[in-house]
Amino acid sequence: MYAQVRTAFKIEAANLTSTSKYTTLTPHKGSITSRIVRIRAAASRKAIKAAAFQTSSKRDILPAGPQVIEGTANDPAPVPTPSPTHGSYHWTFERLMAISLVPLTIAPFAAGSLNPIVDAALAGAIVLHSHVGFQSVIIDYIPAKRLPRTRALFWWGLRAATLMVAIGFYEFETNDVGLTEAIKRVWTA
Amino acid sequence: MPTPAASQTVKELDAYHILEAQRRNRPVSPHLSVYKAQISWYLSGLNRITGSVLSGGFYVFGAAYLCAPLFGWHLESASMAAAFGSLPVTAKVLLKFGIAMPFTFHSYNGVRHLMWDTGRGLTNKEVVRTGWTVVGLSVVSSGILAMM
Repeated sequence: MYAQVRTAFKIEAANLTSTSKYTTLTPHKGSITSRIVRIRAAASRKAIKAAAFQTSSKRDILPAGPQVIEGTANDPAPVPTPSPTHGSYHWTFERLMAISLVPLTIAPFAAGSLNPIVDAALAGAIVLHSHVGFQSVIIDYIPAKRLPRTRALFWWGLRAATLMVAIGFYEFETNDVGLTEAIKRVWTA
Repeated sequence: MPTPAASQTVKELDAYHILEAQRRNRPVSPHLSVYKAQISWYLSGLNRITGSVLSGGFYVFGAAYLCAPLFGWHLESASMAAAFGSLPVTAKVLLKFGIAMPFTFHSYNGVRHLMWDTGRGLTNKEVVRTGWTVVGLSVVSSGILAMM
């Protein structure tokens, strides 16, 4: 087995030098690359041993799907293109929305109730905050790479739900007494 | 003199297939149960759980209110207040505490998160202290709200 692993890593090292633009990385004896290759081979042997002598029970709560190899076994994981719209701007927008909820949440406790515009702003902010929160949950638990169709289903399902809820609260705000006043009436009933 | 290891010759392509098989069989990281119970990650998990429960309830009500005329449900504030008012006092207090607890916790912990976003209070000691502060504040204010 060791010989097989060693051969595999030799090929890996060769592949590294042939595909890399840093051709100076040829793993000659004593070089860093050859040391890394040896360490990796040793780690791999350890992993094989550990797997063979694994005695603790295995609980597959969310078992990993089949692992696939894209390209060759030696390709690095792709780095996504940097995009401020999906990165820092999105993050800042999330924070601004959360910050806006602080005064909107304190106001009804301080003033007893809210005027219709501020009440509608509170309901709208909660809808947006919930939508972004659910998005984070979906992103974390339904990986797009492994479960693309499930992800798309939940993503569009969430959009539909948010739209429905937004219309529902528009109706509630325009036909009923408003969110904070309704909570107050039910709470003190 | 080292003992010669038993070995066999493998063709380069076969060796590559062994490597591929190994790459496909990488270990999966263990589940949460391997970690020691600590307030830092417990509150982080609770923040998501309480947020999801509150937003879930909010979504269910918003969608149900929109569909109410179709099914003849009465979800307007007057009938909900009447229904809630007819419950026994114990049930009212327990229900109010059950709603106030996730709401106050998520609100206080949200402010704690916003504080972290400005780079403050990130040492282990501060995280533990502010964590217990949030728990204490949530329990006390939920108790007050439940009695209102």
